[in-house]
Amino acid sequence: MEYFLELLINGALTGLMYSLAALGFVLIYKSSGVPNLAQGALVMLGAYLTWYFTNAWGIPIFLGIAVAVVAMFLFGMLTERFLLRKMVGQPIIMIVMLTLGLEILLRGVAPGFLGAAPKSIDVGIDLAPIIIGDIFINRGYLVGAIVALVLVAASLLFFRTRLGTKLRAVSDDHVSSWAVGISVERAIAVSWALAGASAVAAGVMWGAEQGVDHNLAALLFPAVAVVILGGLDSIYGVVVGGLIVGILGSVIPGYVDPLVGGGTRDVVVSLIILLTILFRPHGIFGREDIERV
Amino acid sequence: MFYRLTGVYQTDYAKDRALWPIPTDRWIALLLLAIAIAAPFIFQVHYVANYMLPWLIWSSAALALTLLMGVAGQLHFGFAAVMAIGAYSSIHLARFGVPFELALLGAGLISAVIGSIFGAAALRVKGLYLVMATLAMQYLVDWVIVNVPAISGGAQATLRTPDVSFLFIPLESVWLYYMALLWTVVVTLFVLNIKRSSYGRALVAVRDKDYAASIIGVSPFRYKLSAFFTSSFIGGISGAILAFCYYQAVTPEQFGFHVSIQLVAMVLVGGLGSVVGAYLGAGFVLLLPMILTNFVAGLGAMGILNVSASLLAHIPLMAYGALIIVFLLAEPLGLAKIYDNTRKYFLVWPFRHGQS
Amino acid sequence: MNHLLRKTLLGSAATITLAAGTSAQADDTITFGLLQDFTAVYTFVTDEYHQGQQDYLELINQRGGIEGKTFDTFVRDTGNEPDRGIEAYSRARGEGAVLVDFLSTPVSRAIVDRALDDETVMITPLHGRGDASHGETFPYVFPMMATYWAQATALIDYIDEHRGGLEGKTIAHVYIDTPFGREPIPVLEELAEREGFQLETFAYPTPGTEQSATWSNVRRARPDHVLIWGAGGGQPVSVREAIRNGIAPEDILSVVWLAETDANTVGRDRFEGVRRFEAVAAGTDYPIIEAIQEEVIEPGHGSGSEENVGTSYYNIGVATMAVAVEAARNAIEEHGVVTGETLRDGFYGIEDYDAEGLMPPVTFSPDDHQGGGMGRVSKWDGDSWEPLTDWFSAHEDVVWEAIERDAADFRD
Repeated sequence: MEYFLELLINGALTGLMYSLAALGFVLIYKSSGVPNLAQGALVMLGAYLTWYFTNAWGIPIFLGIAVAVVAMFLFGMLTERFLLRKMVGQPIIMIVMLTLGLEILLRGVAPGFLGAAPKSIDVGIDLAPIIIGDIFINRGYLVGAIVALVLVAASLLFFRTRLGTKLRAVSDDHVSSWAVGISVERAIAVSWALAGASAVAAGVMWGAEQGVDHNLAALLFPAVAVVILGGLDSIYGVVVGGLIVGILGSVIPGYVDPLVGGGTRDVVVSLIILLTILFRPHGIFGREDIERV
Repeated sequence: MFYRLTGVYQTDYAKDRALWPIPTDRWIALLLLAIAIAAPFIFQVHYVANYMLPWLIWSSAALALTLLMGVAGQLHFGFAAVMAIGAYSSIHLARFGVPFELALLGAGLISAVIGSIFGAAALRVKGLYLVMATLAMQYLVDWVIVNVPAISGGAQATLRTPDVSFLFIPLESVWLYYMALLWTVVVTLFVLNIKRSSYGRALVAVRDKDYAASIIGVSPFRYKLSAFFTSSFIGGISGAILAFCYYQAVTPEQFGFHVSIQLVAMVLVGGLGSVVGAYLGAGFVLLLPMILTNFVAGLGAMGILNVSASLLAHIPLMAYGALIIVFLLAEPLGLAKIYDNTRKYFLVWPFRHGQS
Repeated sequence: MNHLLRKTLLGSAATITLAAGTSAQADDTITFGLLQDFTAVYTFVTDEYHQGQQDYLELINQRGGIEGKTFDTFVRDTGNEPDRGIEAYSRARGEGAVLVDFLSTPVSRAIVDRALDDETVMITPLHGRGDASHGETFPYVFPMMATYWAQATALIDYIDEHRGGLEGKTIAHVYIDTPFGREPIPVLEELAEREGFQLETFAYPTPGTEQSATWSNVRRARPDHVLIWGAGGGQPVSVREAIRNGIAPEDILSVVWLAETDANTVGRDRFEGVRRFEAVAAGTDYPIIEAIQEEVIEPGHGSGSEENVGTSYYNIGVATMAVAVEAARNAIEEHGVVTGETLRDGFYGIEDYDAEGLMPPVTFSPDDHQGGGMGRVSKWDGDSWEPLTDWFSAHEDVVWEAIERDAADFRD
């Protein structure tokens, strides 16, 4: 029982850490309908920049994070302005390809200029677990999960502000938004900027665990799994999707791995997602689009 | 002028439906084929063996994927797994003593059956959700290969291709190249022809709006599934050809997730659904990193780029990513569209307008 | 492929200048092809490793080379992709490379047959096929350092000798779920039976950046010692999770891929006590490294950041080239010319060479391309790696059984 609870709790926390990486993906998809395959690379860049500002300028880590957030906010905005905006109206799959090109570019730039060998970020989280009975809870993941929940809550609140309301309008319908005088371009730029900023949080939390190098870009895949499960355009979905991916990816392998003698997490998770979307093709909280001939 | 064409003068439907209605196009295709056949005798071995040979094989794989993604509109992010199934089953069949011709066929069928099972998800979902379904295939196939030593080839997880012969010609030396060429030509003709057959038009109808297709009597169920079947069949054999004619030893990493992404990139950068695009895309994704690496390393050796080995190695990656972005910004429909624009320009050259 | 094409085409075309063969090099330089993965999977080691290789060759060149010949390198990034590796290999041979080093398991596996046919020496230190130690089967492939099997037996022997024996103990093997992670399992099983300890294996999925469920399981097996068998980003995560799950650092024993960068990621003091196998000594207190400092780094001929000098992976790079240069020296002394074939013979002339204490003494013979497979166990003392044993090897019969079994598989 304790084993089950431990797997459940740590899995849930891990899942929320994935949500952290997935949040930016949803923000961009929600406003512009673009699946941003460079989100993992943004996470990597955020971590690299945090490391760079902290070390090169010799400033405390939290200041470094703040500077990185500002930098990534601007980076996201510029990316939208100079790359994505030029692709408006093109087939969506080609825009996806553009984000893949951006992903490759960033994986060259950050390790090329800042060093390919792993860097370390220390946010000062103690290694010792929180022990309840025989349940060991991972402190690093706990902090990451709290950060994720705070950011998700902040996003939800943000969508209630004036700018957020505009963003929701844009996500509903571009043309009508123009008609009522909302600048769709600016709204999408803001969503990219927010995605950049949230990538820093994911980069720092994951980078503190595994070290900062180009491997952080691979967080894209669990993030996409979370998003697809939760529904591409749902902020709630990020949390629920993360919890499901994390818990199932922890509990089931926890029991199945010893039986088959191999790491089954990715297989289990992808099969469950496969089955889920067979029954709910738009994810759990995704919006079902009505198609017309 | 170059196309020596002053208008469209087909007098019957057969001519209009011809594979290459414009004679010049036919001559260009034949010329390219002639160059491909003569390549081992006119180009340096280095370029034939390390550039043209893999380019041909990857082009056939990209053609299979463009049939699925471009013509039938079904996204597939696990196509490397399809190729892996083909490669592994062909090698196991050949080692078991099955003649190579049948081993290829068997590899194609096995890939097609397994590919269609995962393709069944396409009956229910589309777009990004289908991406997830095909990704599941990638993870599952990878996992099975790594975790079943009987498949992967023992503790070293390397499976070498046995010596085989195709139609009584032992597959070695220059015949490896001709085998790949033969296969790619067959696939090219097949995909070109599919696009002008009723089957191809049915696939396009399903791609454009599946339930609209079903209203006019084209069963999306049948055609989606058969698109997965056909494409996986070709992809599986391409994987087998890749193993036998090029790698000569397969390991699980050669068909990993990143390879699937590369295949998708080939199809997209080339231009969705275009045969020329599959060749251009495969060339871009496969050869450009090599060319850039050699170019940048050459600059480094000349002392023009005096930077660390690590940065020097990352510059091609940056340039490659940047070039994908630049090409897409310049022409969002891919390299095939750039080719098409050029062709259209020369169709009426020296005039600026005219029907093509 | 390349060589095969050439065989049939040689007479027919005057086009074969690029791939003209192994001995096409200029007379007074010896070219090594360092065709490594700088951008994809092996990035955690490549920079430092490559820098060590370059700096050592620079040291030799600064001293006037060997017998009047200097060393040149042909460097390409393969991105861990076989296609690019094959191209780079062919080009390197065109440039006259007599030795190639890919530092990538998938690429070197794809090249094995080609290198054997082309008679080009391929070194596969700490990567590639362990069974290539079988010199008769793989005459041109040199693993040159302890294989993963030898590392596993050495770590088990260390527990036996220095940590209170093996009888009745539980040892957990926690590995990344790839062929690399699985490789030592048969050897460990054999030893478990022979030495009477209990072996439990636990796989975590690639890329190994999230392992919490696996370790919940490991903890419940109550292992006395844990072997962690991964590389890159997975290693600091393994150490973190082990410590979190109450496993004492001194009971964590790692495969060779654990270095200063991992200690930084986990935290230098938290990492204290973690054991690892090392095939080459770390640190700067060795004559060769000091010479590099003095003659290469200080005059400004270094090929990278000075901080990297003396790190674990840097020294491994230095050691690989030290052995290769030694082989080239033998080749020149015996044959006057360095080709793939004479270089191979040059390796066989190496006897008890230890690069002035930087590495265990190695001896190559036509049978043994591993060079003895010795190494030692060291621990992180909060600041650097402190050796705990002398250079040793253990249970060589088990290692060679594995080598011969896989080599026999290769021969079919």
